[in-house]
Amino acid sequence: MTTADPIPGTAAPSARPSAGLLVLFAHMTPEHLEDVLANLTAAFPAEGPLIAMQDVLPAGAYPSHRFVAAPATNPSWTLTAADFVNACQLAEKNGSSAILMLGPASGSLDAASLRDLANATLTTSIDLAVPCYELPPRAGLVNSAILYPLTRALFASPARYPLAVHLGLSLRMAKRLAGAAHRFTSSNQAEMPLWPVNEAMVAGFTIDQLDVGPRVQSQHTGLDLNTILPLVTGALFADIDAKAAFWQRFRPLPPALNAISTSISVAHAPPNDAASEIVALVNAFRLAYTNLQEVWSLVLPPSSLLALKRLAATDCAAFQMSDSLWARIVYDFLLAHRLRTINRGHLLGALIPLYLAWVASHINFTAFGVDPESHIEAVAAAFEADKTYLVSRWRWPDRFNP
Amino acid sequence: MQNILATIVQSDTNQASQSLYASNNSIWRTMSDALHESIYRVLSLLISILPGILAFIVALALLSLVGLALSAMLRHALTAAKFDDRLARSRGNAEWALSSSPTALIARASFWGCVLIGLVIGVSAFDASYATAAALPSSLLPYLARIVGAAFLLIAGNLSARFLARSVLIGAVNMQLQYARFLSLGIKWLVLVLTGAMVLDHLQIGGNVVELAFGILFGGIVLTLALAVGLGSRDLVSRSLESHAEHSSEHSVKPPVAPTTGPDESIRHF
Repeated sequence: MTTADPIPGTAAPSARPSAGLLVLFAHMTPEHLEDVLANLTAAFPAEGPLIAMQDVLPAGAYPSHRFVAAPATNPSWTLTAADFVNACQLAEKNGSSAILMLGPASGSLDAASLRDLANATLTTSIDLAVPCYELPPRAGLVNSAILYPLTRALFASPARYPLAVHLGLSLRMAKRLAGAAHRFTSSNQAEMPLWPVNEAMVAGFTIDQLDVGPRVQSQHTGLDLNTILPLVTGALFADIDAKAAFWQRFRPLPPALNAISTSISVAHAPPNDAASEIVALVNAFRLAYTNLQEVWSLVLPPSSLLALKRLAATDCAAFQMSDSLWARIVYDFLLAHRLRTINRGHLLGALIPLYLAWVASHINFTAFGVDPESHIEAVAAAFEADKTYLVSRWRWPDRFNP
Repeated sequence: MQNILATIVQSDTNQASQSLYASNNSIWRTMSDALHESIYRVLSLLISILPGILAFIVALALLSLVGLALSAMLRHALTAAKFDDRLARSRGNAEWALSSSPTALIARASFWGCVLIGLVIGVSAFDASYATAAALPSSLLPYLARIVGAAFLLIAGNLSARFLARSVLIGAVNMQLQYARFLSLGIKWLVLVLTGAMVLDHLQIGGNVVELAFGILFGGIVLTLALAVGLGSRDLVSRSLESHAEHSSEHSVKPPVAPTTGPDESIRHF
């Protein structure tokens, strides 16, 4: 791995207030880069932070900022292990005490959000500052269905977006993450995503969650659900497996973000735009139900299979997967991942249609007027309620499971 | 004169019966000798290869015992050294590729390694004793080896067929292909037919007939699959080509999508 060299002609580090801040940019389009630099200038008008980026800017383009060259990494849709290693190395080399990591499509973060994320770790004792995005109701669904409920239930973490692409890190947090990331980079898995929230919880570091407003979503060419979902869930399941000694102990759970109210009426049909999407999703689930029962029966207990059978026979307008069933499905897949009941690639592939069924159910709930956040919190509560099942089967996997 | 004739006839009859009796005797003796000789040959053959068989059993048993002892020692030593924990710490949350713990894996590998060495030594001993037993049919032992190889081929082929069939099934379902199961079955039988042909070829059974039959079957399955997929996905391909043509006529790089909350917003999984 190459080390970063300061760009000739840039200013030397000074004793200004934000001199301890290092901003690391991931791969960005030139338009995004302009936006982010403009926002950074607005966030730190007097004292420009040290900016590490892979694309060298012309000298004098932003005189208030200082630039260093970051080692080249492969473009990715999220922050990868290589990014965390680079962040730590650059921070240590330049004497930075806090790091602001900006992933792809950071142009949507305004100046205030950037400043808040940076200041959380720079001026307070917070080790990890994670953003809370304001996303549309039908965005970030993998996070809402799996990542958030699972992380919250097992690690008692309040972070709504555990796989955020914008992070504020203290130096010790960066060192810890670099240590975790180094194991991936040394085994030629530099593109693997890392789980900073889980690391922080295990290390006992302080986490703060900051509202950063809406987030522009980048177009990830070449990566679809069939690629990313197995990658992300596989990485999270592996992380949970590695930290089993931590999450099996009881911990007080963080308070719910919103009041849970999922009482809905099935008397009304969902709106037309939702109905067409639900039909496509439910058809995908039904196709999988007719073909993948053999695989699912290796992973899921008979009670879940029976519930899925009923679900497959349900009309699209009334298609609702119960939160407890979804929690049980995810836990059973996590257990099968740990026990290697079937090949892990097959296992995570077989989860995709079930996730699509959850998405259909979620859209149905929201189409009937349930607040999406309330439904997501209800799902998280179901995961928390069923944690004893996971712990029990994790310890005694061969016990009878009807 | 009559008396003389009668005496001659009687003596002829006696001689004939005596010679017949002698001939029967010699057949029995010959058969008995042949049987005795063959029993002797088989027994001597068994006696000659018996040390080899005994050596095989002793070598296998001894090395298995050594393997058991070595496995137990390694298991205890690695557990005492907390090898699993150290490895987990050094690897972090990087995926451990096997279901068993590293300690169990090493212990098991050492045991089966010893068993394998025992097998090799036993077979060598058997082979040495077999070489001295010249009467044993010369093709028996090599053919036994072929049967073992064929069994391995059959097992590997079956496992590959199941794995590939499941991979194709899950992939096709996630691509929402209606003929996912058909495709999966096609792949499974392709691999099974290939395996069957390889096994028969390895056993040298059938000769050219197997090759010919395999070619016909394999080609038939491929043609069936190609026709089925081609005809079944006509619409899919045409839609894909149309969307590609439309896409290429528009921007080559899509701009970021601004978050919307309108009713026509599409699903975004990430």
